[in-house]
Amino acid sequence: MSLAWTARNVRRQVEAHPRIVLGTSAAFCLLALVAGGATLGARTVNRWGAFVGQNVHVIAYLADDVDQERALGLAEILGRAPTVARVTVVEPAQALARLGAMALSLASDARPLEGLEPAYFPRSLEISLAPAGDLTRHANDLAKRLRAVPGVAEVDAMTGGLARLAVWVKLGRVIGLAILVALGLVALLALVTVFLRTRGTVAERAAVLAQLGETPAAIRLPSSLWTAMAAFAGGGTGALVLSLAWRPVLAHLEDNLGIVSAHPSPLLASAEIVAGLAFMIAAGLAMGYFATPLPPTSDHA
Amino acid sequence: MTIHCNTPSFCSFELCGQKVSATPCLAYDRGVLWLEGIGCLRHGCDVLEGVTLGVSGGELVVVEGSQASGKSTLLEVAAAARLPERGAVWFAGRNTATLQRASLPFVRRNIGYYTADATLVGEDSALANVMSALAVRGEPLGAAEAGARDALALLRAQELADRQVASLSSGQRRLVALARALAGPPPLVVADEPAALLGDEARALVISALATARDAGAAVLAATADCAWANALVAAGGRRIHLAEGHIVGAPAVGLVPALTVTDGREEQPPRSLSLETDAGEPAVRTEGAKGPR
Repeated sequence: MSLAWTARNVRRQVEAHPRIVLGTSAAFCLLALVAGGATLGARTVNRWGAFVGQNVHVIAYLADDVDQERALGLAEILGRAPTVARVTVVEPAQALARLGAMALSLASDARPLEGLEPAYFPRSLEISLAPAGDLTRHANDLAKRLRAVPGVAEVDAMTGGLARLAVWVKLGRVIGLAILVALGLVALLALVTVFLRTRGTVAERAAVLAQLGETPAAIRLPSSLWTAMAAFAGGGTGALVLSLAWRPVLAHLEDNLGIVSAHPSPLLASAEIVAGLAFMIAAGLAMGYFATPLPPTSDHA
Repeated sequence: MTIHCNTPSFCSFELCGQKVSATPCLAYDRGVLWLEGIGCLRHGCDVLEGVTLGVSGGELVVVEGSQASGKSTLLEVAAAARLPERGAVWFAGRNTATLQRASLPFVRRNIGYYTADATLVGEDSALANVMSALAVRGEPLGAAEAGARDALALLRAQELADRQVASLSSGQRRLVALARALAGPPPLVVADEPAALLGDEARALVISALATARDAGAAVLAATADCAWANALVAAGGRRIHLAEGHIVGAPAVGLVPALTVTDGREEQPPRSLSLETDAGEPAVRTEGAKGPR
């Protein structure tokens, strides 16, 4: 079978079954979206984890007799702990300023705070924990140890907020995983459907070509080629959609959730896209190959 | 009279109660197709037993037999569509029974095989279906298209060329399938009941097309249960073989035997037909037909 004849067969099959070709492309597009979305989703969760890590998890209010120098010393010692990411000393004047800013943002009125002196506010240490799976437990452990440190008057582990955050993160992960699994199943179902439809359409042609003396490889080649091309087109479309739409969608979502991250939004790397498309082409070739049923080469009927 | 021709090197004939053994000479040519001692089973029952048959290039052989006589099975074996349980199938000098399965497609592509239930690709045009046989043989697209149009024209089916096969009637589909088998023509054309369910005009066309393929050098093997149509093929220069209950009867299955050495030492060299004489000097066996009408 010549190259021209193979190309003609490919064109004829594509023209005869445009829906199946489109369905194949759509299935591979969905597969690319699921695989790419899972990769980007995992990176986004890490990014949000970094954002959560920037927040303050434990506040240690210091006793009145602890001066700034000792507070800085304590902050340095605490900063060496492996579970601690950052320690900031908050001076009484800073605390008052923050309270005033919050009153303005919440009530647009800071007059109730008039007359307050910075001396009313204790010096404090704001401690951010390193990202971990169980921040609540880490915060409680740290608070317990801090309460035993001389000069620490009170410790707020903020475990209530952390627990709520942990629940939301867990729920978000479960929902995200469920959506991914559902989309993956839909993609798999779509692939199986187009596989069976392809098998139905090429069976007659394969039987005729086998009877005419075509080799199995040449019988399978045209359907393998068009499924590979459909897979490439679908996978390419999926990669393009992710490249163009992921950042705007993520930015919109983060705006709504109030997440501000210093890290840039994740995107698929060129090498990842090329590897993904190569996989799609290989999967398309395999699909066309196995979707072409071959009659027995010769037997005793 | 019964004739047993089990191997290319030995034949025994029973003529008028007298047994005659004959040995073909060493220069025997197996031709395009040589079936030797073919035995086939279907559901455990013998449908062919010890059938030996040769077809040379430029020869038209018609296998005539009643229903269930084993014609279709014989043609399946000849077309390499199935392997026999016993015997050897020599195609162009090669025993296909000893070939690897992967090699069988290379045999099949040189055989134009027609059956009444031949499968066509319904979504393709008639032209594309006929072209596929030539393309499989490696013909360039242009040559394949020209050859396919010629084959369709041979059966006066050229107006069907661009029509989708799914839209054709069953008779038209048979013509397209036959055109596909004849396209080229290939070295061997095997046609099982090619005229069945066709009108008189189409039947005459089929005879003409088979004769044209024969004249182009192809070995043509056709089978029919229709005695009248078999007669018409013989009249067109075909050699008739009778098949009954899986055996060839009534005439030697070897047609173009250049020389036979009879056991009593006498030799005869008929040019196109085989003629043996009894001891009394009477012609006893004659194969019917030679190339061209008699």
